[in-house]
Amino acid sequence: MLSKELKNILLKVQKPGRYTGGELNSVVKDSAGIAVRYAFCFPDTYEIGMSHLGMKILYGLVNEREDAWCERVFAPWLDMEKQMREHNIPLYALESGDPIKDFDLIGFTLQYELCYTNVLNMLDLAGLPVRSGERKALTPIVIAGGPCVCNPEPLAPFVDLFLPGEGEEVTNDIIDLLKKHKALGSTKQEFLKEAAKIQGVYVPSFYSVEYNPDNTVKAVTPSNGAPEKVKKRIVSDLDNCYYPDKFVVPFLEVVHDRTTAELFRGCIRGCRFCQAGFLYRPIREKQAKTVDGQCRALCGSTGYDEISLCSLSTSDYTQLYPLLNGLLEWTEEDRINIALPSLRIDNFPEELMQKISSVRRSGLTFAPEAGTQRLRDVINKNITEDVVMSTVKEAFDGGWTAVKLYFMIGLPTETLEDVEGIAKLAQKVVDEFYHNPNKPKGKSVTVSVSASTFVPKPFTPFQWEAQDTPEAIAEKQKHLFESNTTRKVNISCHKVYTSVLEGVFARGDRRLADVIETAWKSGCKFDGWDDVFDTEKWEAAFENCGISPEFYASRQRSFDEVLPWDHMDYGISKSFLINENKKAHEAVTTPNCREKCSGCGTNKLNGGVCHALCKGMA
Amino acid sequence: MRSVRVWLEKDGRAIYTSHLDLNRCMTRAVRRAGIPLWYTEGFNPHPYLMFPLPLPLGQSSDGEPMDIRIETDMTDGEIFDALSRVMPEGFTVKAVREPWDKAGDVAMAQYLITLELADAVQAERTAAVIRSLIDGGELTAEKTGKKGRMKVVKEIKLSELIHRFELSWEGSFIKISAVLSAGSTVNLNPALMLDALCKAGGFEPVYTEIRRQKLLKSDFSDFE
Ligand code: SF4
Repeated sequence: MLSKELKNILLKVQKPGRYTGGELNSVVKDSAGIAVRYAFCFPDTYEIGMSHLGMKILYGLVNEREDAWCERVFAPWLDMEKQMREHNIPLYALESGDPIKDFDLIGFTLQYELCYTNVLNMLDLAGLPVRSGERKALTPIVIAGGPCVCNPEPLAPFVDLFLPGEGEEVTNDIIDLLKKHKALGSTKQEFLKEAAKIQGVYVPSFYSVEYNPDNTVKAVTPSNGAPEKVKKRIVSDLDNCYYPDKFVVPFLEVVHDRTTAELFRGCIRGCRFCQAGFLYRPIREKQAKTVDGQCRALCGSTGYDEISLCSLSTSDYTQLYPLLNGLLEWTEEDRINIALPSLRIDNFPEELMQKISSVRRSGLTFAPEAGTQRLRDVINKNITEDVVMSTVKEAFDGGWTAVKLYFMIGLPTETLEDVEGIAKLAQKVVDEFYHNPNKPKGKSVTVSVSASTFVPKPFTPFQWEAQDTPEAIAEKQKHLFESNTTRKVNISCHKVYTSVLEGVFARGDRRLADVIETAWKSGCKFDGWDDVFDTEKWEAAFENCGISPEFYASRQRSFDEVLPWDHMDYGISKSFLINENKKAHEAVTTPNCREKCSGCGTNKLNGGVCHALCKGMA
Repeated sequence: MRSVRVWLEKDGRAIYTSHLDLNRCMTRAVRRAGIPLWYTEGFNPHPYLMFPLPLPLGQSSDGEPMDIRIETDMTDGEIFDALSRVMPEGFTVKAVREPWDKAGDVAMAQYLITLELADAVQAERTAAVIRSLIDGGELTAEKTGKKGRMKVVKEIKLSELIHRFELSWEGSFIKISAVLSAGSTVNLNPALMLDALCKAGGFEPVYTEIRRQKLLKSDFSDFE
């Protein structure tokens, strides 16, 4: 399946296993009987893409169909891209080795804004024009899903249709429709018109955007019968929703190389900075026995020796203890570890904790997110210093010597005092260790502080806020380093400019497409990789297009401004977000969804049902 | 607990699996097969699974030995069947046997090297060049190694490590059958030898394939 040409270059690049395919459980079909060939593209490296659960779900789901074949495509690393371009090898899909330009659907998943240039680069490597208007034929249709689709505007000219929300149902709808139109010999326009009628499909070329003299959006007007507001799709019943019983098992070591179990979607916490917490609402839980069955099937088909229980805030899962008890019944004997990546350690029974590997291996992690109680109230992060201190105390009692703390810099209303609070809290954790009579003898403590930069995101209460300027962030980072007086505390911060860029695209409009294309043409790609990211090229791209990044990143919006993503409907009511924003500025917290529903509105997408409210699901 | 030597053919896309990745991949295969591996004792128990002579990336093999320790009374035949059902693409179980020789007994390996040249004329000329280089007995290669923290470039005499060398050509293809030193102390990677030949002879094949055919002991008998 690998051509001689490809084999020749494979030994000249790092990690050729990224580009060969042929992994266990990858699906190879006879293309003769296939009506729709689907290239699922992850615009980052193989190792990152292969760790992504959404891709595994949709890959399995499409391949269940006899009339469709889904294959995987990742962004080739720089060395491979160079070889491919030199030898005229177009971007191909891993299963068949066939060039993806001949496929019917090319789907991208947009997990983070900094992958946008990779989308363009992959289309170009495939041998396709990057702008959808220049791709005249019915196929390939370029589609995109994933969290960034909540504001897809910066990519609007490149992608034929976006799929806001969850992909399980709408993917099949699109495949059915495309199959029909291929048989009919329809034009691309005819297909897109029909597609726009499906809930959860956004055809950007059917919407025209007008701007005010001050550069804000004046109006977004649909045409061709497309809906005024595009409502996201969700899956109502996770117990009966498709979940793969096989994962492709990579030969290479990838970031998350294990069985992943999804416990629920959504989050009851309502942290005001967290986009995922709002985007994936309403809350829908899976039954413990469903999860258990899925884990058994996956471990059996992959041979993995680790299960990761994955959800936004895993300990909020109402059936966590029954699930863990059930899993431990068979995993211990089979030497399978269980990892809980996002754990709130408060109230976690000790004997269960002992058996859970993540805690054992990586030490304790905490995400207070802000250094003072006032600021934690602003962002609605319901974790008090007392809880942090009592938990680290217990941990030190139990012999731990390493604690990792996650914070953000640049949160709304933040002052230098709040920044200093980060160093102080870390210092308190160090002190706690030395005051603890039961601390491990002869050992010292390390507290790692990771301070990322806050980026305001659409569909959060902070979507109107100004992002800190690069200068302000740099000053705060400097202040944080200066506030730290002990060598027991290690502080690491994110690069400033990449956060600004992320902020620009997160809340950007269509005019940014030119900047993305210009930057890409000048050589920008893999912008999420610090060692590849090129600040100067990006600055030049903004300048050449006459667009100021500050307008998008560091400008405070008013509540009545038309936002570029206002025509996307994620079920969250704007009045709820406004109310949350006002409460944030008064430092008033909102109870979590299990205590009280705050009327975010997303339950309407699910016939009024939100599992945050059902106590003890049957 | 008992030890078993599994012989695996490695071919196709699987040849791009590095040694480290292969270990992980085979541990999972044994798990899928439902064969209970024996775990080492101690603080960080891990299953016992090792390859007496790791195969370099990009080379195929007729039969790679893989030693595992298992805790089961499954017969060799049952293990053969169970493993055969779960192998990833490119791997075929050829045999399951008691490990007869010690891993350290590997002294040489026999390879089949196929070179494709631009055309038949080139192939004939190249074949002659290779022959004279081998017959000359002066072939050397550079190998970077480490001396403490320093990187050092060592010149190694290849002729001492080449124990048999047969060559034939047909059309634009050259086939070389070679027995080279192999093992944990002295080992000659055929790719290194090939590079040295290309450099010294000033030729460049359009395509190359290297296949390990068997492992030998110091008396040229098969490693089993
Ligand atoms: S509907 Fe109510 S309980 Fe459900 S997510 Fe929204 S606010 Fe929370």
